[in-house]
Amino acid sequence: MNILRLSLFNLKKNKREAAAISFLTMVTVLMMAIFVANYSKLNKAFDESFKASGSVNSIVLFKTDTYHSEFKSILTDNYHTDRLSINDYIFSGATDVRADSGDLVSYNFLFVTEKTERRLENFIKVDAMTDDEVRALSHPLWLPVNFKLSKGLKTGDTMTIVKAGKDYPFTIAGFYETGLESSDGFGFKLILSDEDYDLFSMIFSSGSLMSYNCIGLSFDSDDFDFDEYIRKCEESSSYNLMNYGVFLSYEYEKANETMFSSMFLMLVAFLSAITMISALFMITHKVSNDIEDQMQQIGVLEALGYKAREISLAYLYEYVISGGLGCLLGIIVTFLITPFMDSFNEAMLGRVVHGNTEVPGIIAVALSIFVIVILFALLKTRTVKKYPPVTALRRGIGTHNFKRNVLPLEGTKGNINLRLAMKSLLSDLKSCIGVTVCIVTAGLTILFSMVSFDFFKDGTKGLESMMGIDTEVVMVNVMTGADPEAIRDRILEMPEVRKAFVSYTLNSVSIKGSDLSATTQAYYDYNETENIFPTSGRFPEHDNEVMISFRRSQLEHLNLGDNIVLEDGGLEKSYVITGITSSMLNSGSSVYFTSDGYRRIKLNARPDTVHVYLNDGVSDEEFEERIAEVFGVSAKEAEGDSSSEGSLEDKIRAAADEKIAVMLSQYGVTSVDYAVMIGDKLITGNSRPYVIKEVSSWRGIIKSQMGPVSQTFKTFTLLSALLIGFIVAVILSIIAASAVRRQRMSLGIMKGLGYSSKDLMKQMALRMMPVIIISLVIASVATVFFNRFFWFAIVGLLPKTNITVIILTDIVLVLFCYFVTYLGAGKIRKISVTELMTE
Amino acid sequence: MASSILRTEKLCKSFSNMGTQQHVIKNLDLDILEGDFTVIMGSSGSGKSTLLYALSGMDKPTMGKVFFADTGIQDYSNDELAVFRRGNCGFVFQSVYLLDNQTVLDNVLTGALIVQKNSTELVNKAKDLLKKTGLNDEDLNKYPNQLSGGEAQRVGIVRALINDPKILFADEPTGQLNSSAGKDVLDIFTQVHKNGQSIVMVTHDLKTALRGTRVLYLRDGGIVGDYRMPPYGEDDLKERRNKLTAFLEEMGW
Repeated sequence: MNILRLSLFNLKKNKREAAAISFLTMVTVLMMAIFVANYSKLNKAFDESFKASGSVNSIVLFKTDTYHSEFKSILTDNYHTDRLSINDYIFSGATDVRADSGDLVSYNFLFVTEKTERRLENFIKVDAMTDDEVRALSHPLWLPVNFKLSKGLKTGDTMTIVKAGKDYPFTIAGFYETGLESSDGFGFKLILSDEDYDLFSMIFSSGSLMSYNCIGLSFDSDDFDFDEYIRKCEESSSYNLMNYGVFLSYEYEKANETMFSSMFLMLVAFLSAITMISALFMITHKVSNDIEDQMQQIGVLEALGYKAREISLAYLYEYVISGGLGCLLGIIVTFLITPFMDSFNEAMLGRVVHGNTEVPGIIAVALSIFVIVILFALLKTRTVKKYPPVTALRRGIGTHNFKRNVLPLEGTKGNINLRLAMKSLLSDLKSCIGVTVCIVTAGLTILFSMVSFDFFKDGTKGLESMMGIDTEVVMVNVMTGADPEAIRDRILEMPEVRKAFVSYTLNSVSIKGSDLSATTQAYYDYNETENIFPTSGRFPEHDNEVMISFRRSQLEHLNLGDNIVLEDGGLEKSYVITGITSSMLNSGSSVYFTSDGYRRIKLNARPDTVHVYLNDGVSDEEFEERIAEVFGVSAKEAEGDSSSEGSLEDKIRAAADEKIAVMLSQYGVTSVDYAVMIGDKLITGNSRPYVIKEVSSWRGIIKSQMGPVSQTFKTFTLLSALLIGFIVAVILSIIAASAVRRQRMSLGIMKGLGYSSKDLMKQMALRMMPVIIISLVIASVATVFFNRFFWFAIVGLLPKTNITVIILTDIVLVLFCYFVTYLGAGKIRKISVTELMTE
Repeated sequence: MASSILRTEKLCKSFSNMGTQQHVIKNLDLDILEGDFTVIMGSSGSGKSTLLYALSGMDKPTMGKVFFADTGIQDYSNDELAVFRRGNCGFVFQSVYLLDNQTVLDNVLTGALIVQKNSTELVNKAKDLLKKTGLNDEDLNKYPNQLSGGEAQRVGIVRALINDPKILFADEPTGQLNSSAGKDVLDIFTQVHKNGQSIVMVTHDLKTALRGTRVLYLRDGGIVGDYRMPPYGEDDLKERRNKLTAFLEEMGW
């Protein structure tokens, strides 16, 4: 009973420390419980949603002109499949959608009819209009439920798809549960009415969609090798399919959809670990202080016959109470924020997350953390054993100093407060180990958070900087036969244009011995590009040199000076790697060539794209209008542009032009001449007016795919920095307060000698500075490495760590720590010299 | 006639305990003269130490005024009092209160460097003073736990004197020392006083009180007796003792 009373006395006496330990334990439990509960919930939610949709687990997409009926038998003959069906689809990459604000956002879309959808999955409607209401709509549209959950659209809203400057408004008839094609990465499957599908099939690229369940297929399984399948298809058809086949599966979809949520939860778990370290440090620090502070009391209790173990328990009970309270609060808060987390998960995942709280998981987390806290406290409280009654009554040997006199005051040159602070620090370096560990881990978290915040502060700009493509460029793809250099010269005359140069469209080749095919990028002069930089080595300069992505170099253990062999159409060419860059495009598959180097492997390649850099303030739309003014409408824009007005001759010419546009833009046709005899009138025409094939840019799609992720991480990293900053503040103020308590006598003497409270508070704060500065230097170096590791592990990118941000954050942290410690030592003001003297 | 160095007007000091006010010093008017060795005596609980701390700026009076060389210090903030103390006062405590983690020399310099810039003269002065009090060079680098009580108190005195204080306060400086060590310490006080140092000392020990030139007797928070003596050594010690004893007995000691 007396022992428990001592615990309660200590708790009451050191309310702030006890509250801090409860708080840290609560935060640890809360964040770890969020991780545990939501990680499994996220995976379960995806699986449940996928299952509920009744979706096939795999689909392969082919463009119409590259599909052959034999591909189906290759699949059935070689792999275990069921529910196999062949369907039509329309694909539209980077399709503009007009938001309410008028801004255009781009998505990758796959359009299908309801009939096709029912072959792919069960078409389970969510928030749907009635059948009568749907029938009354001119242009009904069904969207994956993702649009409702993460993009805030509602049934009855209008969604306007913009193509070639034309608006195609649809009314959202409802949403539906879908298995595949429900993410920003792979695109969204939209269900159109048959009439609208027919209309869109004239405007967009169409193809064949092969859907099936592949039995036993798993992400790493050898059961289905897409590349191998495509090679077999190529062999049977003699088509080049490498660029035109897309494989989607349950595993890919899941990995893609849960990637950012998992990344977020990993960060939460990391924060939890940091908080845990802080809590454990606080506990060891407090136990040491309490034992030192109450040494004589311990001696008295021992003299009265209490065993060391019993006295240890008195200290342990404190942590049973404060740690237990923290764990309990952690559980309660976790339950309270479950609805918020479910909404967050739904928004991130784009699927319904059912509200079953992972009670056993949360309780297990809380219990585990409680046990760790108690074990740690127990280990530390056992030090009571080291003090038999006589030693304890003499206050241990704490007052007996036989150490070398470090920093004797005789050599004082500057400020006495600084000298005394350093002297005190150097006399007791051992006590700094815990603070160092704490500040290093907390500093790492804050610095990483601030570096990440800086990375995301301008929206998607940070991610763009690592993509390995010129994201600001507008690509003007010219018709075969047109002179790209002449077009470039005319574009350069436009006042909207800052810079333009001729280049090649992205293409694909195989790399011998690699599962990751190469997305080709070729430039005449890399110095003209603005967002492609070698992170090591240099740009390729000769026709046998290439630059590869950091991800590829890591995954395939390729370094500067190594050779890779590229394959295309039976041709094999060897290249030397001269540079490595950060590249996110197509999972980091980019390989960068010189123009000549590219033509070594793509023998027939000719420059076909003008890369255009617009002046500030000029939008892509304005530029496209300008292009249309100067060069006439592009073939891509002219698709579906047949006018029904005018004379019969006009109608025929319009129809013919539209067909030519489709042939030029979709089927690789380079030149068309036509002649139509109507009665006695001959109507002729050709494809020569078409100069521009397509105008496109990366900006819209990057904005739609990365914008929400950037915003989430920006907010999260800032909150993390603030939370850990608060924890650092709590810890430092508690350390300062307990140091004041421990050094009460010395501080009183100093006051008696004429040192003011401010002097002594300054000494206390200055004492911490070397530890904090050294810890932050360690944390800064660790941040650079951790930042690289993190981004590579998550998306295979090599980020540029903003050293300025690290230095500025370090300066702010040093000042912050100084003032927190200074204020935390404020209890010095309450030390009464006279009370001390008359004790 | 020596000038006043410390003066109080209607000085009061009260403590609050469980809601009850305890008035320890009551409306006390006092004048301490420059160059005097003033001894404050009284029975236990009479307010000797409380008066010493109120006079020295260690503590603030509840009411009334304290003038140090005509400057009122009663309204000073705690930090202003600290600055006042460091510039004008030296303290010698019964429990010595050396800093455990600092050597003898560093203990002295800790008090000095808050007032003076470090210099060879200052360090030499500290060493010289320590030598004069009987400590040798080897002792300079010792820690307090390696010193005897008398040695520690001598360090305490040097620490109090290092800044040439205008007034030296001592609270029962021999209270924890044996008679031999106590005598050595008192000899130092006597010597310092002979050199012109103003001293205010609290004691309940007759031998210690004999070293003073003025004895104030405190009872119930007020001065009830004020006895003057010639400087120590200038009169017959036996007679000095008898007269002081008589005064104290008259006071009810």
